[in-house]
Formats: sequence, structure tokens, C-alpha cells
Amino acid sequence: MTIRCEQLDDLLLEGDAASMDAAAKHAESCAACREILADWNDIAVAARSMRHTWESDLLWGRIRRGVVRTPLWRIAAAALLTIGIGGTTWYAVRDTTRDAAFGQTILSVAAVDEVERAEAAYVAAIGRLEEVAEPRLENAEGALMMNYREKLMVLDDAIAEVRSGIAENRKNAHLRRELLAMYSEKQRTLQAIVREGEHVSNE
Amino acid sequence: MLEAVLEGIPRVMNEPHAEDRRLAAGCARADPQIFEEVYRRFGDRMKSIAYNHLGTVADAEDAVQETFLKIHRAAATFTGEAAFTTWMYRILVNTCYDLLRKRKRRGEETSIEDDVRVISVDDLKRIALRRMLDGLPEQRRTVFMLFEIEGLSHAEIGGILNISEGNSKWILFATKKELRKQWKESR
Repeated sequence: MTIRCEQLDDLLLEGDAASMDAAAKHAESCAACREILADWNDIAVAARSMRHTWESDLLWGRIRRGVVRTPLWRIAAAALLTIGIGGTTWYAVRDTTRDAAFGQTILSVAAVDEVERAEAAYVAAIGRLEEVAEPRLENAEGALMMNYREKLMVLDDAIAEVRSGIAENRKNAHLRRELLAMYSEKQRTLQAIVREGEHVSNE
Repeated sequence: MLEAVLEGIPRVMNEPHAEDRRLAAGCARADPQIFEEVYRRFGDRMKSIAYNHLGTVADAEDAVQETFLKIHRAAATFTGEAAFTTWMYRILVNTCYDLLRKRKRRGEETSIEDDVRVISVDDLKRIALRRMLDGLPEQRRTVFMLFEIEGLSHAEIGGILNISEGNSKWILFATKKELRKQWKESR
């Protein structure tokens, strides 16, 4: 079948393999159509290279938390639990540091175990509160939520730093107190986010 | 016996395929396993579609997350008129349009973040094409992206954008003709 230059557009519109083959065959003997076809294919090649995807460890977690919503009573329970365990931890840390055998900055082995148990429970409670707060934080817009998000990032960095210090010296009461203060701040921030989210959804 | 006979008969257009029905039902009841399956199977393409519409990884992830929430809310109303994936991509594209409009209202830039390090002619071509696509009306841009970048068929694109297959073909042709003019000038 002989293709004329006027038919090139029809072939490009059709765009299937047979049409493109026919266009290519015609282009072999027509410089003008060859140039058009070359550009056409060039654009397609450049477009294919624009496919872009990436690994995202956090995205699935965000989706999961967003879709599987936590009921309100669980939010309240998580908040209460956090406050309760927070108070207990504070009390435990205060007592164990006061009675420490090696001075104010060194904890005894028993005290360290006790603090670590309380700390683990506190962290778990904060984790539950975080699950509630995070979807609100991610879905929300506005300067306030942005500030909360940044504050949490800063706190998480600081917590990671102090924890690595504690890993090197488990008995350092000063670091433990710093860590507790940071967790308390994180807890307050998460509670503020939950409250803010409820305020927005009630509006 | 009856099942064997029925198997050879094409399904009625409005009756959802069993697989689509399974996914929609799972999404409606917020089944984490179904959502994870949907995410693992289609997440890469969803991210790519969103990225090419919105231009940043952060915005693309927001759009994908928002899409999953909308899928959950709307899955109970899934009728099966289109395949589950077509329906899902339609929600995603509309979510991207909403974000772009929101951005426009705020007077924010909508162009895709260019690679900081350009290393080859192909990179330059890709960046040039991205800029050209930024200047296109949204429907044309989406048809081009879904066909040329994501490799979807005109039938699928028609289902996503609620246009006919022939219309999708025509829009792609007209868009590529327009792009070719700019392509030629940019050389």
C-alpha cells in the first residue's frame, strides 16, 4: 500500500503498531515526513523516561493510619493512659534519682531497670497517642499544624540523640531526666494536635 | 455445569468483576490487608501519576494518601461500570486537579521541580517536555501523561476522564502536534 504525505496525520492519529509501521515505511522516502516522525517518536521516548516512582517507607503507614480510623473513646483512653503513665514515670524518676547510691547523676542498677520499664510503657502510650494525632497532622493544613509538625520532628531528633547518649551510659540520671522532659513535651504537643483536630472537625 | 456455560459468556457491563468486587468490598470495610494489596499493586503507578501532575514527591504522596481515603469513603458506591483501577485512577486524577486548583488559588507555582543535576541530552529533553506539559490545559496534559508516560490504553483513559476512546485518541494526537511545534522550536 502506498502512503501519501497527506495521510501521515491519519496514521499518527491512529497510533497503533501497524499505522506507525506504515508511517515509518513512508518516511524512508520522504524527508519532511521523516522529520515529523522523528520528533513524534522523540517526544514519546522523552515521555516514557518521565515515569517516576520511589520507595516510600512512611507512605503506607500514613495511608493505613488514615484509613483505619481510631474511635473517639480510644483517643480519650490513650490520652488518659499517657497522662497516668507520665505521672508515674516522673514520680519514679524523681524517687530513684533522689535515692541514687552514686550521687545525683548516677542511678543504681535496680533504679535503671525500674526507670526503663516505666519509660517503655510511657513510650508505648505516646506511640498510641501518635497514631491518633498523626493522620490529623498529615491531613491538616495551616501554619499551626506546620509548626506542630516541625516541633515533633525537632523533638524526635533530640530524643534520638539523648537515647543514643543513654545507650552509652544507662545510669546517667541527667540524660534520663532530659529524655523524660522531651517525652512530656512530645505528649503535650500530640495532645494539642488531637484537640486542634477535633476543634477543626467540629467547625 | 451452569458455571462452565456462564464462564464463556462476557460479563454484563454494569456487573463488577469478582476481583474488582473483592477489592471494593475490602476498601469499604477498611480492611488493612486489602488496602495494602491495592497499595502494593498500584501504588507505584499512582505515585508516578500524582508526581507528574503535581511536581513534587511530597505533594504526590499527599495526593495518593488522600486518594486512598476517598476510595475508602466511596468504595461502597462502586458500581463496576468501570474497572476498579480505572475508578481508582479517576479519583486520583481528580484529587490532583483539586490540589492544583487549590495551589492556583493561593498563587503558588505549579511547575515540576527540575533535576538539580542535568547530566545528559535525554535529561534536557525530559525537562523541556515537562515545561511544555506545564503549559497545557489539564485534560490534554492528563491524556498525554496517562498514555505516553504511564502506558494506559485509550479505553482506560476514556474511563478515567469520562470521555470516549476516540476522543482520547484525538486529544493525544492534537496534543502531540502542539508539543511537536514547541519541540522543534526548542531544539
